[in-house]
Amino acid sequence: MAKIGILSFAHMHAQSYAACLNALPNAELAGIWDDNPKRGKAMAKDFGTKFTAKLDKFLAGDMNGVIVCAENVKHRELVEAAAKAGKWILCEKPLAPTVKESKEMIAICKKAGVGLGTAFPCRFAPTLMDARAQIQSGAFGEILAIACTNHGQCPFDWFVDEKLSGGGATMDHTVHVADALRWIMEKEFTKVYCEKGNLLHKKTMKTDDLGMLNLEMEGGIQVSHIASWSRAKSYPTWGDVTMEFIGTGGVLNVDAFNQKVNVYNDETMRTEWAPYGDNPDLGLVSDFVNACDERIAPSVTGEDGLRATEVTVAAHKSADSKRMVKI
Amino acid sequence: MFANREQKVAARPQEALNVAIIGCSGMGRIHAEMAANCGLNIAICADKSKKAASELAAKYGAKAMTDGLKAAAHKDIDCILIATPTPTHLMFVEAASKAGKHIFCEKPLARTTADCKKAIAAAKKGKVKLFVGHVVRYFHEFEGMKAQIEAGKVGEPGYVKIYRGGMFPGGPKGWFANYDMSGGVTFDCAIHDMDWVRYVFGEPERIFCQALLKNEPIPIDYSQSNIRLKNGMIATIIGTWAHPSGFQVKAEICGDGGMIQYDSKEAPISTMVRDTGDGPSMMVPASPVAESPYQREWEDFISWVHDDKHQPRVTPEDGMIAVKMAEAALKSSATGKPVKL
Repeated sequence: MAKIGILSFAHMHAQSYAACLNALPNAELAGIWDDNPKRGKAMAKDFGTKFTAKLDKFLAGDMNGVIVCAENVKHRELVEAAAKAGKWILCEKPLAPTVKESKEMIAICKKAGVGLGTAFPCRFAPTLMDARAQIQSGAFGEILAIACTNHGQCPFDWFVDEKLSGGGATMDHTVHVADALRWIMEKEFTKVYCEKGNLLHKKTMKTDDLGMLNLEMEGGIQVSHIASWSRAKSYPTWGDVTMEFIGTGGVLNVDAFNQKVNVYNDETMRTEWAPYGDNPDLGLVSDFVNACDERIAPSVTGEDGLRATEVTVAAHKSADSKRMVKI
Repeated sequence: MFANREQKVAARPQEALNVAIIGCSGMGRIHAEMAANCGLNIAICADKSKKAASELAAKYGAKAMTDGLKAAAHKDIDCILIATPTPTHLMFVEAASKAGKHIFCEKPLARTTADCKKAIAAAKKGKVKLFVGHVVRYFHEFEGMKAQIEAGKVGEPGYVKIYRGGMFPGGPKGWFANYDMSGGVTFDCAIHDMDWVRYVFGEPERIFCQALLKNEPIPIDYSQSNIRLKNGMIATIIGTWAHPSGFQVKAEICGDGGMIQYDSKEAPISTMVRDTGDGPSMMVPASPVAESPYQREWEDFISWVHDDKHQPRVTPEDGMIAVKMAEAALKSSATGKPVKL
């Protein structure tokens, strides 16, 4: 039985992780700390656990690990505090907005002898696990090109304030796919070109809401990726993760979250896609719980988080310089 | 929805124009049928292959020729249709212009921007109309999307993505697999969407592109363009000649007030033929319309031929700028740098 605490509910994924912890038979949601006490108390009530206002007191408590879901720029200090308290850590993505912070976090956790994981639930999505197995089986021959998307609706709130997020949609919606492709292809990214901007929310926010990346992976694989907060408010779902793999032996298409039933409801007057299938967050949280129990590294490590951040940082550099940038 | 459809009455020719079809394989055959539907007289069918020329000529009671240059200047014709490999377009344009024949040229107008300039100059000098077949402008679904955008349904557009393609055309020995001639899927297929993006959203600022252009072990091409427009919009254009079978077009336009999506796989008719052991089964999705987009191109061209004041939907300069964009994309792919336009 692993006791897991949650540090901040700033990122809405914390709610899903809390529900997963409550659902897993070998885990216990041990408590919540949040620098927003109102939010923390409300969440503690919702998920049937206790709220602690002081961070040092919280981290001194009886817990094996913590899940960090604060605003991106706060990841580093919270990870450091948890590591020094000897807790295993699962950090929401991006691990950090900068390469420097990401490397520091990895070093701090290594020194403290605690496991550090990055929350990339795509690795636990059965659709993507199946795609990886098919690609790795060689059934599609040599993969020459890949076209990807990770679209979403605009999350607003602190996500669109770069002082707290460290970057807009290009960062937020590139890291998942960058990590998933590294894992599926077992190759690293080498170069990136990027165009980004605020194309759709000029009236409501400042940060970029769409980035198009042209990347290269080891072996010269040509990859395009569109990271966006472009889905209309009236869109029937939150967004997507899609990939088209072009191989010498054929083509494989993934629309990772296209497990849905169409719902037409007269009260909402809006078509909705109700998801079915498995919850990838459950696999992610379960992996972390096991890592805490066995005191081993989570499957998706801090280094994986760093690799994804290296891609987004290089993409930002490319968008500013209008040149292809080495990763 | 039908009430909104543009009711167009084709300008009927006072006297049927006589046309020479230059290039009698796939596109040449489609254009012959469309021209005939518009009441034109297919007078000559010319192709390097005597068989191809004769077969099509027999269908229309036309004269078969193997010399396209002679056909383009023949006394019995008023206009020509060029559906030959791209690098040969210019010589037919020049021959027809010199002889005073109007020209309907399949896209791309020519293999280089320099050749496009020569083609436009030749047509101007010969005082003939030069029409370029950027047929996507005439496709009903693309007209439908344009109308929705113009009606403000997406608010102010900020992003557009178009995906087009399917299997590699013409097989490993065909001219499409000679990338120096065809320019691959970027130059021959994605050019449609580069033209449409410019037509609807405005001029391009710079293009970055990755294109495969592979011939080993088999011809495979896949092209991923990242285009910044002068108005700040970003456009993604993906062209594929990498699929084992089929053909698909997808489009998406995002604005600050909504989105539009289109997918040709959502067709009103799809069929599957039972495999009886005689051969593979087919699945052919179809979206029939009363008047083919190719025929609408012809009507536009014919109206222009008969009336100097008629503004065709595609100008020769449009054809040239589309070539310029595709050329820039290929240059970007070769150099790994964005290319300014």
